[in-house]
Amino acid sequence: MNDFLNVTGFTFRNKTRGKAFIVTTIILVAILSLVINLPYIISLFKGEGGSSAKQVGYASVQAEAAESRVTPTLVGGWLEEYFASQPEEARSLAMVPIDASGDAAADEAALKAAIADGRIDGYIQLQPNADTGFYDAVYKSEKMMDGSSAEELRAGLQLVKANAAGLTPEQKQLLYSPVDVKSVQINAGTGEEDGRSATQQGINMGLVYAILFLLFMSIMATGQIIASEVTTEKSSRIMEVLITSVSPLNSMFGKIFGMFLVGLLQIAIYVLAVFVNVSLPTNKGALGDMNIHLSEVSPDLLIVALLFYLTGYFLYATLYAAVGSLVSRTEDLGQAVMPLTFLSLGGFYLGMFNLAAPDSMLVKITSFIPFFSPYVMVLRSGVGSVEYWEIGLSLLIMLVSIYVFGWLSAKIYRTGVLLYGKRPSFKELRKAMKAYKI
Amino acid sequence: MKPLVVDQVVKQYGDKTAVNGISLEVDRGEIYGLLGANGAGKTTTMRMVLGLIFPDEGKILYDGKPYSKEQLRRIGYLPEERGLYPKVKVSDQLVYLARLKGMSAADADRSLKQWLERFGVPEYYGKRVEELSKGNQQKIQFIATIIHQPQLLILDEAFSGLDPVNVELLKATVKELRDNGSTILFSTHRMEHVEELCRQITILRYGNEVLGGSLKEIKGRFPREKVRLAADGDIDGLERLPGVLGVKALEQGGWEIRIADEASGRGILRHAMAQAEVSRFEILEPTLNEIFIKTVGETHE
Repeated sequence: MNDFLNVTGFTFRNKTRGKAFIVTTIILVAILSLVINLPYIISLFKGEGGSSAKQVGYASVQAEAAESRVTPTLVGGWLEEYFASQPEEARSLAMVPIDASGDAAADEAALKAAIADGRIDGYIQLQPNADTGFYDAVYKSEKMMDGSSAEELRAGLQLVKANAAGLTPEQKQLLYSPVDVKSVQINAGTGEEDGRSATQQGINMGLVYAILFLLFMSIMATGQIIASEVTTEKSSRIMEVLITSVSPLNSMFGKIFGMFLVGLLQIAIYVLAVFVNVSLPTNKGALGDMNIHLSEVSPDLLIVALLFYLTGYFLYATLYAAVGSLVSRTEDLGQAVMPLTFLSLGGFYLGMFNLAAPDSMLVKITSFIPFFSPYVMVLRSGVGSVEYWEIGLSLLIMLVSIYVFGWLSAKIYRTGVLLYGKRPSFKELRKAMKAYKI
Repeated sequence: MKPLVVDQVVKQYGDKTAVNGISLEVDRGEIYGLLGANGAGKTTTMRMVLGLIFPDEGKILYDGKPYSKEQLRRIGYLPEERGLYPKVKVSDQLVYLARLKGMSAADADRSLKQWLERFGVPEYYGKRVEELSKGNQQKIQFIATIIHQPQLLILDEAFSGLDPVNVELLKATVKELRDNGSTILFSTHRMEHVEELCRQITILRYGNEVLGGSLKEIKGRFPREKVRLAADGDIDGLERLPGVLGVKALEQGGWEIRIADEASGRGILRHAMAQAEVSRFEILEPTLNEIFIKTVGETHE
């Protein structure tokens, strides 16, 4: 026990004093602070008073106004009227008529000039569609991938089309007034009314995303460090001295635990940085505007995330240590840890790609498979529905696998640290184990 | 009860026998030389003594007891290829290593300072290992081996890579440890060190013991086949004497004469005295170097 604590302390001290640790921690804290403060910083640049709605121009031809048929100018006017009728905070577009002559080339030049002047952000052009009897629209702007504006315009055009039939002002108001649709997630199995609201879902979704990312990064980074530490000790032959002083089991788990404390310290610093930044008075308003409230975070998710972070870390860390012990030179390490990296990456992607489908059979099954469950269980308890016994069972499977793989890793480690030269194959390893009587 | 007894140990890696029935006994206050060409099984033998690997057959006893965790603390090991944490301060890692051997941090620190003082490098205390020269890293590694006052020392190529001054310094330290009652198992390729330090030796070849016992006795077993002769005038006709196998004139004056047996020496002396004033005449005993090459090298080719 003494040796174990000794190794843990030595690992922890050396890592936290290292330049690499201090620099990465500071950089990440800076990035986190920047990201959290971004909404506020952006709001500073927006300038006060100016509506945040995007200005969309359309060609307004005086001569067409008098015609009785549905002209592009008329449709543009309808759109202008429709967007103007929307409540201000929900309004994302505003139509701006640009005087035009009716000559296509000249009109487009005028609209482009308006963009150049900064009067509008983009413009819409309407072309008659013989099949539908209405118009097809083209939205042109200098921005790439401006899908949301096009979508808004499509919805608007769909609505204002009804004007062609002639509407009374009352009908028009009814048509234009926004309808509120809420989505609540429920758990049909328990029949409880503990459904999550839309904002909660959003928060959980974001949180699951962040946790999956953190889990992946943390397992990868610390795993790599553990493996390279072991390899360095082996290649610098200090391993031979160490192993005559302390049992391999103590030295391996001491190192893993030491790195675990380093990782925990780092995460604690990040969480503190996030918390401090979010609590800044300037950010409270800005984040609140985006419907982000920390009080909406469900504690269950955090507890599950913590439990699976712990178990996932130890499962991967023991294997990384074992792989590190098999490699004699640091240059060969990257290749050797590749299978572990892919395993971890697999779990990460299972979590990421199923964010929208957290109740599929694939997710259910993989949430009980040791190397994937840390990711997938976080996903399930964050955005899907999961029973307590399922979490318990999955945790139990994790603990058993940690025991099994820890035992196996310790054996590999014990053998590997004395094998120099080329990386041994499984057969050679088994032979060496037999020879060493391990 | 001898502090270290290795009794007929055998170690096989697959179908290759790395060590085949080696026995040796080392007493308190004794340095035992383990010699052999590269790949002869020295490191495997040492690793078995260290408890890193277990022998397939035979046994190793420490003070009459088999290997146990407690033995670890009493052993100091200097590996052939040196290893320290390059980026960690000398004080940090030596105190760490000493604590793993069961020393308290305060004792380890005091002991480290004493040793650094003794080796004349107290300024290395706060330096990182990568800042030191190779020879000085070696000194630090040596301190790491002995800092916890081990009763059993295993030194694999202890003096390689050091300048003559530092070799003397470490040699004196090893002798001092021996005189204080440490049991030392010593391996090297430098035969003059063995002649100076070791009472008993074992020479290994392909895992087999080809020569073993006290150094004096081993030397006695080999015939004296060399005569060193110096005189203040020229002597000719040495080659034609009976029993003379070869004559080599030395740069610094005099001759080195290979002879078939010790008795031929007298004929040479008589012949020389008849021609000139002899200032030096010696029938040399074989050096360990020659014995080593003879036992390991000859049959090797």
